[in-house]
Amino acid sequence: MALEDYRAMMERCSNCSGCKWIPFDKIKSQRFSENCPSISYYNFNTHSARGRFQLAQTLLDGDCEFSPDVVEAIHNCTACGSCDSTCKITRYNLEPLDHNLALKAKAVEEGYALPEQKPIMDSLQQEKTMLPGELRSNRLHWASGIDVKDLMKEKGEVAFYPGCKYSYNEKLKPVAANALKLLINAGADVGIFGSADMCCAGRALQMGFENDYEQQAKANMEVFTKSGVSVIVTPCSDCYHAFKRQYAKLGLDIKVMHLVEYLDELIQDEKLVMKNRVPMTVTYHDPCHLGRLGEAYVPWEGKEKKILNQVHTWEPRRPRYNGADGIYDAPRRILQSIPGVELVEMERIREYTWCCGAGGGCSQTNPEFASWTANERITEANATGAEAMVTACPWCEESFMNAKDEDGNTIQVVHLIDLVLQAI
Amino acid sequence: MALAREIYRAFESIVGSRNISEDLGIRETYRCIPAQSSAHFGPYDQKTPLPQAVILPGSTEEVQQIVKLCNKYKIEFKASSTFWATMGYIGSDCAIQLDMRRMREIEIDAKNMTAVVEPYAIGATVQAEAMKRGLTLNIPGVGCSSSPLASTAGWAGFGPTSIFMGCATENMLGAEWVLPSGETLRTGSVGAGSGWFCGEGPGPSTRGILRGVVGTTGTMGVCTKVAIRLHPWPGPDHIPSVGDAPAYRAVLPDNFKGYTLCFPDWGAYANAVNLFHENPDILFLGHRQYNKFGRNLKVAMIKILNDKNKQLCDLPALMEDPVTKKQNEDMKIDVQVILAGMSKRDMAFKEKAVDTILEETGGWKSEFMQEPDIAAWNLMYLLRLGHKNLNYTLCGAYEGTFGLTGNVFVSSSLMEEASALKRKWELESDCIAAVGGDSDMGSISVMGGGGATGWEFFTQFDAYDKESIKNTKLFADATQEWMTSKGLGVDFCRWNEDARRPDGYNYTQEQHDEMYINLPQPHVTAYQYKVREAFNPNKLTGSYYRTLTPEKLKEQD
Amino acid sequence: MDNVKASLSNIVGGENLLDSPEILLGYAKDQSFVKEMKPWCVVKPKDADQVEALVKWANKARIPLVPVSSQGPHTRGDTVPGAPEAVIVDVSNLKKIHSINRQHRMAVIEPGVTYGELQAALAEKGLALSTSLAPRAGKSVLTSVLEVEPRINAVHQWSYSDPLRCMEVIWGDGVRMYTGEAGGGVRDLEKQWEKERWQVASTGPMMFDFYRMLTSAQGTMGIVTWASVKLEVLPQIHRMYFVPAQQLSELEDFVRRVVRLRFSDELFVLNGAALAGLMGETPEEIAKLREQLPPWIALVGIAGRDLLPELRVETQEQDIKEIAQQFALKMVPGLAGITGEQALAAVTGSSDETGWKARAKGAYQEIFFVTTQDKAPGFVETMKALAAEAGYPANEMGVYVQPQHMGTSCHLEFILPYDSNNPKETAKVKRLFQKASETMVGMGGFFARPYGPWAYLQLNRDAQSYKTIQELKRIFDPEGIMNPGKLTI
Repeated sequence: MALEDYRAMMERCSNCSGCKWIPFDKIKSQRFSENCPSISYYNFNTHSARGRFQLAQTLLDGDCEFSPDVVEAIHNCTACGSCDSTCKITRYNLEPLDHNLALKAKAVEEGYALPEQKPIMDSLQQEKTMLPGELRSNRLHWASGIDVKDLMKEKGEVAFYPGCKYSYNEKLKPVAANALKLLINAGADVGIFGSADMCCAGRALQMGFENDYEQQAKANMEVFTKSGVSVIVTPCSDCYHAFKRQYAKLGLDIKVMHLVEYLDELIQDEKLVMKNRVPMTVTYHDPCHLGRLGEAYVPWEGKEKKILNQVHTWEPRRPRYNGADGIYDAPRRILQSIPGVELVEMERIREYTWCCGAGGGCSQTNPEFASWTANERITEANATGAEAMVTACPWCEESFMNAKDEDGNTIQVVHLIDLVLQAI
Repeated sequence: MALAREIYRAFESIVGSRNISEDLGIRETYRCIPAQSSAHFGPYDQKTPLPQAVILPGSTEEVQQIVKLCNKYKIEFKASSTFWATMGYIGSDCAIQLDMRRMREIEIDAKNMTAVVEPYAIGATVQAEAMKRGLTLNIPGVGCSSSPLASTAGWAGFGPTSIFMGCATENMLGAEWVLPSGETLRTGSVGAGSGWFCGEGPGPSTRGILRGVVGTTGTMGVCTKVAIRLHPWPGPDHIPSVGDAPAYRAVLPDNFKGYTLCFPDWGAYANAVNLFHENPDILFLGHRQYNKFGRNLKVAMIKILNDKNKQLCDLPALMEDPVTKKQNEDMKIDVQVILAGMSKRDMAFKEKAVDTILEETGGWKSEFMQEPDIAAWNLMYLLRLGHKNLNYTLCGAYEGTFGLTGNVFVSSSLMEEASALKRKWELESDCIAAVGGDSDMGSISVMGGGGATGWEFFTQFDAYDKESIKNTKLFADATQEWMTSKGLGVDFCRWNEDARRPDGYNYTQEQHDEMYINLPQPHVTAYQYKVREAFNPNKLTGSYYRTLTPEKLKEQD
Repeated sequence: MDNVKASLSNIVGGENLLDSPEILLGYAKDQSFVKEMKPWCVVKPKDADQVEALVKWANKARIPLVPVSSQGPHTRGDTVPGAPEAVIVDVSNLKKIHSINRQHRMAVIEPGVTYGELQAALAEKGLALSTSLAPRAGKSVLTSVLEVEPRINAVHQWSYSDPLRCMEVIWGDGVRMYTGEAGGGVRDLEKQWEKERWQVASTGPMMFDFYRMLTSAQGTMGIVTWASVKLEVLPQIHRMYFVPAQQLSELEDFVRRVVRLRFSDELFVLNGAALAGLMGETPEEIAKLREQLPPWIALVGIAGRDLLPELRVETQEQDIKEIAQQFALKMVPGLAGITGEQALAAVTGSSDETGWKARAKGAYQEIFFVTTQDKAPGFVETMKALAAEAGYPANEMGVYVQPQHMGTSCHLEFILPYDSNNPKETAKVKRLFQKASETMVGMGGFFARPYGPWAYLQLNRDAQSYKTIQELKRIFDPEGIMNPGKLTI
């Protein structure tokens, strides 16, 4: 939808400020009560979902322009969707996250991308990754030494799709390798896309580069279809969201699973048995794109229909994404299945989790803001007394590895797969 | 129009470049469109003026310096905490907007049951911190996203728990306040350095300047800290919840019970309410809440809100469902109450007291509202008031009409007539949502210990639909005409109609003089003129402060 | 001056203008240590119209007015003229009870109505007014609530100034208006009642709290000619219990807990000397009781009204008893021969003309201020030390701790009985009074009602507040005619 198509939502937003907080029912303290990194860091109303609705009205009316401050406000959104989930606690007809993305897209379309975004998009075009400086020729180094099918050459049921972060980041590469080995050892008919493996481009969409995203998505979908796989498993929450929710809009019809879902199934089916004790108190960080943004896409076409004079609904019933059906329980079940692991929860979890700061491309375009966002989460994690923070997304993991809490302390950051490996 | 560089830099030097903006786009997000927000002066599709700059102070000292500069350069200013309502926004072109969100501290004195809060501490966070210490606070009807300081300093501040906990003015203890002149007033025991426990005296209370029946809506300077009285919370250190969004449900021990009390007619209702007023220890909370969706919709809406798979499009089918219809009819004349037992015996007494009042008045408890999931959801809703934006859910906008605040016997005897008038508009004009006429809601008492109800009819309209906005205004005219004919005073949505012009700007003194000379006791506004002269000599805070030029009284004499 | 008196006489009638030396002497001083000053004359208006005329007259004549509502003997110096040639406006003849509304539990009373008169009238309609602790027989209810004398039932004190609600006032500038909810309607009570408006809400009527200009103002802003007060349903069952303790601190948590849970009706703490003073009829009896009573006693009243009276009383008795046990205390029905019934009657009824505090030695001084309960023991210890230092018998000193405003603060009062005919003793008490007042202010005691020398001590601590009060005074009493000399530094 173009920005203009959100006009009704802009004017029907009631300025309640719900978009600035986790669901009020869930607030346990002043310290960890806010949900949106952007307004929390920048403080001006413009940086909230309400502010963006209002800014968009003003831009469309021609009452302001894409000034440098406006452009920064538009792009300094981690697209984490926290505003969207809390808005939908009470509203049935607003889509703040989609609107935020449409606003970014409008800025990009009008030539108001951030200068920092250019090398990222150039890299996508040239090297098929949104990590500038990385070469496509090095993309498969993470899998060297693993005897795995190249799905472009031989058939397999499951595609393992590590995503750019796991493919290139030296510290994170072992996670991808271990995950793949674990799938192989568990008897999965798994392979990788080999030289056809490319960036999912989900972050292009999060940054407002709709055309680049679509181009890349279609290219990937061609690869997926050609490979004939029936399931794509990814350990990256960003990629998961891109495939499950966004590619599906473009017609992707292959089952998409996050690694935690796959492992959960293996454990449920007793194909994976946790034998070793891992004595550790951990807290789990719900990645935004796996949790509240991890709900599956449901096709819909329809139009608005007013009932009871002025109550706006859609005909036919429109799917509603409010985060209720995100992937929250699978990672927690895995943790609970590991002997010795004690899970202590942070205050902001599940659909009201706090973003790691990397979303929306912010860790690359605005590291100061992204780093503050991650630090906030580390403060929250350390407040639980946990020894380690477990997550299921490389972007979150990278953000947290470099973060410190308000007292300057770090926390050990662990991918779920690492704990599983220790336990089996 | 922009601030002169010299002035902008002076402001910037106070708060730092990060906390001030004069960017047009940023400033535009500090304009209110009354039709899209809580307005209390009617639905208007017109923006409030554009501030010259937006400034985010971080301390009382910064506020004071800003206000002094405003006096020096004769720049109007207005501070707002959560920007819920139109009254928090400026009213002239030569004004700056203060956004108080950087000031959000909460300091609780559990022993003496007080909290000192800054402007951007909201009800939900104060409550969360208070509950850890076995305490809670009165959250006004607007909900927990509002600032307790703002409702204390700026507006009415009554809500569902006011019968037990009192309203904002009753709970206000000491305050720290930067007057429009730039001087900082600390009331009562605070000024004496004795603590925050008492906002009165020494001698006549200077806090009288800071709020009356309502607060001064940012016109009497900037309240930077206020101590509020907290109240007992006989529950866990937070309310554990279960359930999928949006139907979060409270898991609470047996000393919390929520009931929907229903009555055969309004006479019985009034008698029951009066008995609760007479015995103010019984109810922890009393509010006619879900009727805000409308007499014909309420049970259907509650079912939608309790099922993550349901949406507004399910309303028609649910409304036709015979079971729902019966449940709806059962709670046609209703009020939601919560009992909180301070002990087992106390709970038993309160339960018995409620049953006795129902017996005496011919009332009953809604069985539907006692179904376990609904009951747990209801407890969560009312105890935290975290779903108050459901006020806007049906259409995206609403105005409170009728405003039958006051004597419960008077207002309840007029309820059906008011409902019929609204129903007529629902059927004959499509400008407002057709919900069954009666969409009255509000507190069982607007003051501690009972005394007056606080009712309004939620009137839902579409802020995106210009015709809906325009005709809703006409509906408000009709309700005001009806109110006037009944001698009931000002309609709820017009409480601020005399404070801000339909074009969003301030009224002039001449316009106010014309209005207030006709008050039954015009000296009220003449004194307010003198108070403004004394504490706001440069008239920097707009026309929400109602004043009458005293000379006009002499002319009248 | 005869012309001036004539004009006064025209307003109130010659018989209501009093200027005999004996009468003037009666208004020239009271039991406080406030400097004696003879008024010029005393007028006794019969209604609000006359009061209005008097204030307008005083503005023109620039003559100070000192409003007096209670019958003597006065004790706090607020009615002793602070400026020469003042006219005492004694409104104690305004004794109408304008209305008692059972349905809304509201009454409208004039300033001359005493507790005894009002409670009797209310009882006939099944109502009662919350009271200050055993008020003097001649105490004006209106003055008592206007001066925010602490109520003995903190848990029903939603507003700091409850039960005071609306008022009619003639401000110092001669303007007559209603405050609170009543200020929003026509200035005619009958017409307001016709519209079922019963003067319930105290605030406003707009964004300014007019009534707060009058509370604790000692008549410096205007003269109130009626006030509405919030009532309670008359108890059908009403009991009072005692919780004795050796230390005040032992009662602190108990009282806090009871108030916090909103249990009890009346609830306050007295030391043995204070309770003895309240219950003893003669100095001898008081002295004897003082010996018999424990050092500290919490008095707990429990009322059952129209709704389930027995069950309410039983429930609260049990719960409060258990709370006492939690703090190793015991709630008992009688103490040192005093029954709960007797205590209840003394506490809620009116005292004699001079008041119970005078019974021990004929005269007394009070030192009272607002603080929080947790700080009360510290103040008490300091006061005891000061008394010892001054050679005042600490065992005779009464202490009264009254939680107020639902327990967020408390009224702490020291009562110093003495023989005013003994110059040495009087001088000793005067020195102690002054020193203790200074010390208490220095320790953070907040003299919210700063009578006599306390005005100087308290107002000096906050220049901005004082400046603000002066600004307000200029608005409502521009000529400075209302009780000048009070509330000034």
